[in-house]
Amino acid sequence: MPLENLKKFKDAPVNTAIIAGSLCLVCAFVVSLAASSLKSIQSSNIALDRKKNLLAVTKFPAEAMANRDSIVSNFEDNFDVKIIDMSTGEEAWEACRDALKSIGKTWETEKEVIDNYDQFTISKTKRSEVADRIEGDDPANIKYREKFSHVYILKNEDGSPKTYVFPVRGYGLWSMMRGYLAVKPDFQTVEGLVFYDQAETPGLGGEVKSQRFKDAWPGKKLYAESGDVQIRMIKNAPKDDHSIDALSGATITSNGVTNAMEYWMGPQGFKNYIDRQKGIAPESGDEEAKTSAAETQETGVRNG
Amino acid sequence: MAKAKTTKELITEPVFDNNPIALQILGICSALAVTTQLTTSVTMAIAVVIVTACSSAAVALIREYIPSSIRIICQMTIIASMVILVDQVLRAFFYDLSKELSVFVGLIITNCIVMGRAEGFAMKNNPIASFWDGLGNGLGYGLILIVVGFFRELFGSGNLFGINVLPLKADGGWYEPNGLMLLSPSAFFIIGIFIWVLRTFKPEQIEAN
Repeated sequence: MPLENLKKFKDAPVNTAIIAGSLCLVCAFVVSLAASSLKSIQSSNIALDRKKNLLAVTKFPAEAMANRDSIVSNFEDNFDVKIIDMSTGEEAWEACRDALKSIGKTWETEKEVIDNYDQFTISKTKRSEVADRIEGDDPANIKYREKFSHVYILKNEDGSPKTYVFPVRGYGLWSMMRGYLAVKPDFQTVEGLVFYDQAETPGLGGEVKSQRFKDAWPGKKLYAESGDVQIRMIKNAPKDDHSIDALSGATITSNGVTNAMEYWMGPQGFKNYIDRQKGIAPESGDEEAKTSAAETQETGVRNG
Repeated sequence: MAKAKTTKELITEPVFDNNPIALQILGICSALAVTTQLTTSVTMAIAVVIVTACSSAAVALIREYIPSSIRIICQMTIIASMVILVDQVLRAFFYDLSKELSVFVGLIITNCIVMGRAEGFAMKNNPIASFWDGLGNGLGYGLILIVVGFFRELFGSGNLFGINVLPLKADGGWYEPNGLMLLSPSAFFIIGIFIWVLRTFKPEQIEAN
């Protein structure tokens, strides 16, 4: 009677090992069964949540985000999604598809690539085909930056771009904070910033998900006149266009947000794309870039 | 040996007579964190009820086989698996709520109530009694959570389950929300008042000085 013996001599070392081992096996089986069977529902929830955040950051009313159907239809009707090459700023979904194929993803059409490409997961693969290791200074603590990124463009009724939304991320105190930065077509005025995924300390750094944090960003300006990223979170923020009051008790989270802005709006991030949209070739000299950037802002001329 | 308790006693006793939060002062941490809204309080209460009930039953089921040298680890393994299950289900079917609850679902693992019932009751009783005992203790915890969540959401944001009850001044009503209610200390006050009221009705719960 093996079971009887297991009960009778439960403190014998062998039996201790048997019980510990089989308990672990059973628990591991149950947990992995649940995780794998619920995975597809969970990932569709995550995809929906991202769309919802895109609507939220571009100031859609609450009704637009009421349920699954309204989120999807509002998103599909109003947003153009592009995949761009981070190093040149050009639209490059074909190059992205080819790069993804080389790591074993077999998405064919533009829609498939755009729908399924998840740059955060892809950059974590650390494969050189799809992600660059960041050499030297890495303010946002990203380590690997994907070669291709989504850009979400909210259209006006006449089809012209109303808001550009960039996926951004940066490391706070405990966690990678992932979010969306929405920028007006002057590529200077912030329309909104949300973080939809973070695990900062609830009540302190976790306040990045609070309404107060979200309300602080609209209207702020990204760049200084020199073209450097100037927007920042700082203690006792002065009342200017570039400063946002830091979260109290969460200096490192606030710095993480600042660093994420600096990185993703800078030349490593979406600056190339932005320059291209403004009609400045990325290779062009600094002087030229500055003057034409200034002109674009003043006259409100857009290329889109 | 004391007379075995009936199912009804097992369930109702921890709710008022031997409430894990009000009398044993266990599990305060999550009671502060998730009670700013009634919806999250209720979800958390249900999650804890399920975890305490099922893990107590599971521990009781194999209690005679658990070697005493590793019994705490065995209990933790079972509890942790249950919590992961609950977390996965929440993520699949109540995604927004699970985001709201964030780490606190995972922290049910360290909730002293669950551990306490596994070690204190389930190791000595049969699975069915342990299930009811876990259920009762979970309900006792949940009751406090819901009471605290009710007052915090009502006075902190004028809502109940996210629906406006007290018209806010900002929207042209008369109620000025009490910001303190949204902060953790208010949960201490409410739990304190709850214990005071409970002990007024049940003086036998007052500790001797």
